[in-house]
Amino acid sequence: MRTLIRTKATLFLVLAALTLGVLPVAHAGDDEPKEKAAEEESSEPEEPQDKWFAVVDGDVYTGTGAVLRGATVLCKNGVIEDIGYDLWMPEETETLDARGYRVYPGLVAINSSGLFGAGSDLPNTFNPFGQNLVLALGSGITTALTGNEVGKLKYGTLEGVQVKTNVFRYLSFSKSSPAGKRSLREKLAKAAKYRRAYAQYEIDKKKNKDLKEPSKKNVDSNLVSLLDGKWRPVFRANERTDLLEIAHLAQQYGFRPIIQGCREGWTVADELGRAGASAIITPRDRRPKSEQLVREGGSSIENAAILYRAGVSVAIIPGNVGISLGGIVGRDLMHLTVEAAFAVRGGLSDEAALAGLTIEPARLMGIDHRVGSLEVGKDADMIITDGDILHYKTFVQWTVIDGEIVYDKEAHLYFAHIRPRPDSSLAPEQRLDAGENPPEEAAAAEGGDEEESEEASEPKEGGGGQG
Amino acid sequence: MILTPLLLAPLALSATAPRVDLFAIRAPRVEVGNGETLHHAVILIEGGKIVTIGEDLPIERGIPVLELDEEQVVIPGLVDAYSRYGMSSRGYSDSRPYLLASAELPEKGNGFKQLREIGVTTLGIYPPGSGIPGQAVAVRTQGMSPEELILRDSCYLKIIAGANRSAKARISDGFKKADSWEEKEKKNREKWEKAKEKFDKEKDAEKKKKLDPGPYKPIEPDRNAEAFRQLRAGTLKALISISTAADYLHLLDAIGDEEFQWDLRVGLTRNTDVFHVIDRIGEAGKRVIMEPELTLHPGTRRQRNLPAEFARAGAKLVLVPRGDSTQAFKDWRRNVGEIVAAGLDFQTALSAMTLEGARLLGVDDQVGSLESGKAANLIILDGEPFEATTKVVAVILDGDLVYGEVDL
Repeated sequence: MRTLIRTKATLFLVLAALTLGVLPVAHAGDDEPKEKAAEEESSEPEEPQDKWFAVVDGDVYTGTGAVLRGATVLCKNGVIEDIGYDLWMPEETETLDARGYRVYPGLVAINSSGLFGAGSDLPNTFNPFGQNLVLALGSGITTALTGNEVGKLKYGTLEGVQVKTNVFRYLSFSKSSPAGKRSLREKLAKAAKYRRAYAQYEIDKKKNKDLKEPSKKNVDSNLVSLLDGKWRPVFRANERTDLLEIAHLAQQYGFRPIIQGCREGWTVADELGRAGASAIITPRDRRPKSEQLVREGGSSIENAAILYRAGVSVAIIPGNVGISLGGIVGRDLMHLTVEAAFAVRGGLSDEAALAGLTIEPARLMGIDHRVGSLEVGKDADMIITDGDILHYKTFVQWTVIDGEIVYDKEAHLYFAHIRPRPDSSLAPEQRLDAGENPPEEAAAAEGGDEEESEEASEPKEGGGGQG
Repeated sequence: MILTPLLLAPLALSATAPRVDLFAIRAPRVEVGNGETLHHAVILIEGGKIVTIGEDLPIERGIPVLELDEEQVVIPGLVDAYSRYGMSSRGYSDSRPYLLASAELPEKGNGFKQLREIGVTTLGIYPPGSGIPGQAVAVRTQGMSPEELILRDSCYLKIIAGANRSAKARISDGFKKADSWEEKEKKNREKWEKAKEKFDKEKDAEKKKKLDPGPYKPIEPDRNAEAFRQLRAGTLKALISISTAADYLHLLDAIGDEEFQWDLRVGLTRNTDVFHVIDRIGEAGKRVIMEPELTLHPGTRRQRNLPAEFARAGAKLVLVPRGDSTQAFKDWRRNVGEIVAAGLDFQTALSAMTLEGARLLGVDDQVGSLESGKAANLIILDGEPFEATTKVVAVILDGDLVYGEVDL
């Protein structure tokens, strides 16, 4: 599928011609100066050569709303250089033919465990060959939070794995800890008071240069910067009362909360929307409401859809943020897209669901300038799938990070044999079991036992993960 | 050549017999250890060393000759470059690059008799522990005191690498210590040179006496920095132990631009993923020390012959017994045979048990192959070296018959 780099191709041609002993003199004369010129050109500048890569002719779902059918994504040195049609490409560009496939931005997992190896201190502990890493890449994930660090799932290299450290800062505001609530309120009040005093000081300073700065004593500088709008706090909250109080607190002090969990968010969606909240939710989360209460509560499959409609941006994460090879399949990070599909079932639009897997988590982690959508200037992290990313049947065929193919379904043992690519050696005409039964017998077996054979060929959702 | 009358008559050579100083072996087949095979070979041994070796050489009349049978094969004495045979494996887990494994050698005698019988003539003993446990020693398997045993001390500095901050820091910290020591030494030197300059300029004899800085005194060597200074200078090399593919990349990251000689120890576990970096290690031409073991591709029952893959990729292979028990040593040749049967080249396998081990220890000028000038360490086998049924007929160490009974 990939075309050879031009110089290699020429070299091959020359070699082939030499072995055949039919190298025409004139031809050689034509080629040599070109080769020499090329060599001179490349040897003159000492800088390393630019690395070009392009995914051509795929249906490009940019993640910004635009869908470009049969378009090309051109990358230079790991960054998207251009997206569109009839693009100029240098001859040495390595290309991946995505005709008939879809191209999406690489998925961003807003939480994960066990993808990178030890998990924290990525530059010193990352395992670039781990099985979980490959399985995650095979699930379309290119960027993930681990511990409180964001890393890229770089395969086979340690370079560029760490994207950001100290990503989230948590605050607690829950009815289970009234003292904690009171304390946060007091601290916020002090921080607000300090900010007002400081603003006044800035004004008064112009008149009176000897004026003293307001005292920072007992003022939480973290909360001051929160009120300055420098960061967004994460609250772990699920119950309606907590969510409401957080929404009110946020409105009162003018910050935008990120709410992790947000199970009963659908009951107070308008309040959360007005508070500018974002939610990290698990659409398949199931919990009945507390029986003492008359009001609405508990989980709802519509949670994501209702929140989104109320203006709450939604990031999606499964309940199990690891790669799980035990228990019931389909609930771990390998099935991030299936999780989003449940939100779609509950009424969320496809676009919003895709955003919940890409740009929204990237925004919440503050890395949306690099990943989360296919836009010129962003990292060339993308996945090439054989269908709608939200469909359970869809497989990721290739995963690209920083303009390099880091996963190829055909190259790994996990899923290569399930609905193989048409050009694959595992394609239907050459089924592995073809040789086991002579043609007549195979036909007889198929005729006599149709139900069984049909069942055997029925695709099973995510079953390959067990292998 | 000088012949003592005693040697003029043929005599039976046995392990307890007095030493025969000059004798020859005529063998139908000799595996030299460096990739060559000699047929109808003659090995002339004098004073424990190989004087000449070649095909169809004439033997001077009167020199006792050991005539081997048609099926018998001579191979070099085996070299296990990485062992803790008969020694405790307890050690420290931090950085102690100055510790010497040679300090652990017993004062009197040794327990290597069983190894000699198997044909092991050279042993590399590494310091125990994790982290950076110290420096290895190469010994003969015969000798009554450390002096007699030691072939070479400080063969390699053992370093255990890993994908974690502390393991990586141990390497970079070592070089940092060497840097800071050299910085101090440089300052000390400059100070002395200034004083010396002042002294040289002073003309007044009285004053001059007072200013005399004396001869230059370097600062105290730092034992933690010394080994790393030697690494940089090339007088010491490192043997770095990794267990996963990720370890190798983190090792390269920890080494950075630092240039020194290092070989790799790769422990082969059943599900090792080290095959991911075979190409990179092979391309770098590294010497790799591992057990003769067939491993499984992770998550499958598919066998992989990693030693052969390493060798094919361009790495220099050293194969060592699977453990430090006598049984592991007994199985060693058979285990390598399994790897050969699974595709490893015969000569690569043989040299992985002999010459490459000697090279790792830096004693390849003395042992490891059957070449003139080297010690007469050899094994006489009764058949194909890697055949499971093949037995050791005799073992000669430094010209002495240490096992078996043969007629000279």
